[in-house]
Amino acid sequence: MSTGYRQQPGSTGEATRTDGKRVAGKLRFQPPGSGGSKPVASPRDLDAIPESVGGREPQPAGHHVHDGLRTGTSVGRPTALVDANAKVTGQAWYGDDVRLANEVIGRILRSPHHYARIRSIDTSAAEAMPGVLAIATGEDAPDTFGVLPVTKDEHAMAVEKVRHVGDLVACVAAVDEATAMEAMNAIVVDYEVLNPEFDPRKGLEDVDEPIHWRGKYHVGKTNVQKRVHQAFGDRSAIDHAAATSRRAWRFEGVHHGFTEPHAVVAHWDANGRLQLYTPQQVPHYTHRALATVLKVPMHQINVIRTFVGGGFGGKSDPFPHEMCAAILARKCGRPVRITFDREEVYWINRGRHPSYIEVKLDADKDGRIAGLDVDALIDGGAFASFGHVTSYYNGVLATAPYELGSFHYTGARVWTNKPASGAMRGHGAVNTRCAVEVGLDDIAEQLSVDPISLRLANLLPPHSRTISGFRITSNGMREALRRVKEESGWDQKFRRMPLGKGIGIGCGFFISGSGLPIHWDPNRFPHATVHLQIDMDGGVTVHTGAADIGQGSTTAVAQVVSEVLGLPLEMIHVRSHESDTSPVDLGSYSSRVTFMNCNAAIRAAMEVREQLLDAAWDMLGYHPSTLVLVDRRIVYKHDPSISVSYLEALHKAQEDKGALIARGAYRSPPMGGVHKGAAAGLAPAYSFSAYVAEVDVDIETGLVKCTRVWAAHDCGKALNPLAVEGQIIGSCHMGLGQVLSERMVYGRTGHLQNANLLQYQIPSVHEMPHVTPIIVESSDPEGPFGAKEAGEGPLLPVLPAVCNAVYDAIGVRPSSLPLTPDVVWSDIQKRMKAEGVADPLDLTSPRLVHGPLQASLDERAAEHAGRDSARQRTDDTSPYVNGVLFGFDPERPLEEQAMGWASIDDPDPAKMAEMGYAGRAWLLKEQRHMGGDE
Amino acid sequence: MMLTPPFNLHHPTTVDEACALAARLLEEGRPFDWVAGGTDLLPNYKWHIETKPDVISLARIEGLDAIETDRIGCMVRLHDLAISEVAHPLIATAASKVASSLIRRSATLGGNLCLDTRCFWFNQSEDWRRSIDWCHKADCGSGAECRVIPNQNTLCVATYQGDLAPSLLVLNATVELIGPSGARTLPLRDFFQLDGITRNVLKPGEFLLMVHLPEDAAKRRGAYRKLRVRESWDFPEAGVAASWVPGDVSSLRLASTGLESIPGVHDALVADHGDWTLPEGRRELAEAVKGAVKPVNNTALPPRYRKAMVSVLAARAMGDLMEEV
Repeated sequence: MSTGYRQQPGSTGEATRTDGKRVAGKLRFQPPGSGGSKPVASPRDLDAIPESVGGREPQPAGHHVHDGLRTGTSVGRPTALVDANAKVTGQAWYGDDVRLANEVIGRILRSPHHYARIRSIDTSAAEAMPGVLAIATGEDAPDTFGVLPVTKDEHAMAVEKVRHVGDLVACVAAVDEATAMEAMNAIVVDYEVLNPEFDPRKGLEDVDEPIHWRGKYHVGKTNVQKRVHQAFGDRSAIDHAAATSRRAWRFEGVHHGFTEPHAVVAHWDANGRLQLYTPQQVPHYTHRALATVLKVPMHQINVIRTFVGGGFGGKSDPFPHEMCAAILARKCGRPVRITFDREEVYWINRGRHPSYIEVKLDADKDGRIAGLDVDALIDGGAFASFGHVTSYYNGVLATAPYELGSFHYTGARVWTNKPASGAMRGHGAVNTRCAVEVGLDDIAEQLSVDPISLRLANLLPPHSRTISGFRITSNGMREALRRVKEESGWDQKFRRMPLGKGIGIGCGFFISGSGLPIHWDPNRFPHATVHLQIDMDGGVTVHTGAADIGQGSTTAVAQVVSEVLGLPLEMIHVRSHESDTSPVDLGSYSSRVTFMNCNAAIRAAMEVREQLLDAAWDMLGYHPSTLVLVDRRIVYKHDPSISVSYLEALHKAQEDKGALIARGAYRSPPMGGVHKGAAAGLAPAYSFSAYVAEVDVDIETGLVKCTRVWAAHDCGKALNPLAVEGQIIGSCHMGLGQVLSERMVYGRTGHLQNANLLQYQIPSVHEMPHVTPIIVESSDPEGPFGAKEAGEGPLLPVLPAVCNAVYDAIGVRPSSLPLTPDVVWSDIQKRMKAEGVADPLDLTSPRLVHGPLQASLDERAAEHAGRDSARQRTDDTSPYVNGVLFGFDPERPLEEQAMGWASIDDPDPAKMAEMGYAGRAWLLKEQRHMGGDE
Repeated sequence: MMLTPPFNLHHPTTVDEACALAARLLEEGRPFDWVAGGTDLLPNYKWHIETKPDVISLARIEGLDAIETDRIGCMVRLHDLAISEVAHPLIATAASKVASSLIRRSATLGGNLCLDTRCFWFNQSEDWRRSIDWCHKADCGSGAECRVIPNQNTLCVATYQGDLAPSLLVLNATVELIGPSGARTLPLRDFFQLDGITRNVLKPGEFLLMVHLPEDAAKRRGAYRKLRVRESWDFPEAGVAASWVPGDVSSLRLASTGLESIPGVHDALVADHGDWTLPEGRRELAEAVKGAVKPVNNTALPPRYRKAMVSVLAARAMGDLMEEV
């Protein structure tokens, strides 16, 4: 008979006696903080306690440092998200749900031109209209901002120039929307139209008027925003390549397609402080940008993150409309609300970069990957956004999970007169990953080996280092590949199915938290901080700045606190909406929240736990090392009848000092190389995934339908398996959108032709395959209870898996995405022409006869499986760096061992230009070389 | 937020009242639109496309939602049509392929036949269309040229993407129109008029009251093939309907949609070609249908592909007829 602490009104339940008397220790209505008088502790659920601390939860990857904190309460249990009730009952308050007294409506006047100089703006007619309360233009806020401190190139509203159709020109606050729109149309803007550029390839050419000016580092007079170059390894091996795959890809831009359009409410309160309500993934950066643009100190701004109706990277920049609302509200002295149309959502964009990517893979006679060359030209649109980072990610995130003989990357990001690209789920890694994995399939085909065998024989082991110096800790790649191979029935299906049916494999690798906080010194300040507070009622209030964007970060934080303290989830209250009360957090991007925030939360909870155990020590006389936390009790572990309730211990701990307060923080360890760009892609842990997809291709129409996906993802430890599976299935859906139908269509005139959800074709439920999520747990040594990310990495493998399945089905290898039916159809037509086949139904599907290499790959894979398992359990702690597979000694610097070993040398522009578009950007000279002083 | 411009909504309860109302508005020179389910009109209104100050709703007129074997009222919801056991199976099938379940519960037969033509230069917000300086179909007084085929203003080439028309065409349906000047009945094939702006022969104040099916329609078996990227929501990128009286080779009728400003009727081609029940004949006839259509670049998929698919769809639709024998 336990009613616990569920404080529901009138929940007396079974706590009544037939004789009408009160049950001992129970009141009819439980006052706050009652309960806990149950003298006998309920036993711990040993199935949820790891083996290493005496439970029955299997730990194939070995002991974890947090094992001793496990109470078996909530970690590892499928848990409905703590904000689920609010969402399903409609009580969640999204951006547009905020209603303040006296509020007025703001609308934004946007540019009808792709590229133009603003000669003048006449707002007088609009201002004179009744009901119009304020009008602002670029002149009201001339300071620049941007999500990255190194590339602040945005204004609240256009200053001097507009850079794409939909760029902000002015904004209006009026008593209602109709008046605001009328006023907007009454603003007269005189433009001098400039020559726009939409083709990123032309961004490498000198123009009269670059879209932005980088100052003395400007590359020629071009629109190149950023160019990067990295080279590692021994290039000599690729001279004797046994197989080479080289493909030039074109990836269309895609948008996040979140449900909730952007919305913001700004209110300057009675004390003149700004209260800004916005659905933000990264409220802290908005906070900083607001302070800069509005010229008020940060402490005079309270950023209130509303519920976020989907983010996926699309709500992580500080946005100009947030500034507009604040400026208008300041001008008119009333709260101002701005809600976007769907079309405006596309105009602010920040979706995945349209890209031209060329990938060359060389394999040697032993089936090792001797060379990986990547050239990525990415189309940044009109602003920098996260582009600086994206430029690196397009290359460096391809350096694992395989061991490479050499790696060569050139990347360039150019400005065009289109809505700005930015970060989107799988930031920067998705397109290159697709090209690499399809290339590997091509290599396997040329070597007459199974593509899974090829991958298994080339994996980096756990606790190793990639060619570019990333520190790999836990690594479940091999297990993921093994599981999908087994569960999909790969061996019976691959290259054996009839024409039009195919199966394909793809792998993924992604960061779990960015290694560097971009706004401060990582050696001095933490990435994440969490505050805990427990008052007499026993409820735990968790203050965190982590932004729950639907991914379940609030639930994860509540879970780890609940786990450490042995308290039910209902007793943990997460407060994360306001910057006034939340400790600074970098926000929800780069898949960092679970890893960093939960680590911080665990540390805070440990501090409280220590105080509780000390109190129990006082009361019971047994040392904390002999006490265990179980459900709301602290028990002497050698005699469970000796115990004290959580509440009793808490009250004891509170004597003389009141509420317990604790703080925990997370800072990533120092890692990585010292070369230029070494920090890009650096993460305290990495996730790995392997997917197998099955497709049906209509050989006559080119329609591709994905029917099955087996999706294995290594998330370290699934804190909440329900959420992890949701992330995997959701990632599949999003990835399938990019691979099958989603694209931002820029027409002949450079206009975005499909800025709506009818023509921007997100897959419907009919297109969704049956997904079998497979969770692989490699137990990361630094992750909270072993956990790593599961939000972005699971997206990567689905694209190449589908592409490779299409090849298996119809013998046509894609080189552009999305695979809309017309694209597949014309590829089929090309194949028919090449083979002289008149009817597509007469085509043959590819078949595989294992070549001589297959046996040796299998042998190597088996050998490596033993190696990996020993390293994963840290039975083997010898150093391992990329290159060991090629015969290098991990104990000595690689440069000493190979004549040709390069690690970030001076780029040779002529050579790089051979590869692709981005390489050609290196032929251009920066202004400083030309003595330019602009 | 996208704001629908305000309009006066009228709710006549009888056909006569509706006609009288239309006559009065015409007389007063007040432009108006008819609205049935609103799934086509209202999105356009939200985009501020040719909005009118008055809108007459047919929703409260009784008796317009009856489904019988020989006639179907204009207000029959596509969902009811799709699940109907009375309606011809071909019509039910075609109705079931329109948009999504949610939309079908509101959308009507009459609305689908009178569907406005679509074009990605046209189905955009006001701000968007301003940024391209408008287009021929909705030039807002600017005299703008066609954006699909520049330098011509004689014809609007926006695409008709209704799903039901080809199926009704191959069943030889007639339509009953009614307006202030009385009722008239004409074959559905004469209802459409080649131009993306004019679209059909409806005179000011007239609306489509009823679809009638000839007696032999019940004997016909039909098939409808629709090309679209997604199984839900998407308008047909191309669609071909076929029907025949089983056993009578010469009775084949073919019609297409989603390719031009009006649906295409291809019956004449049937006579010119050999026995379509044989695969070879079927292929030839399908190629001929492909040759008869001229899609332009204004929908999601490129016209070259859509044209090529017409032969696949036509061959498959004919193949479906054969299978049902």
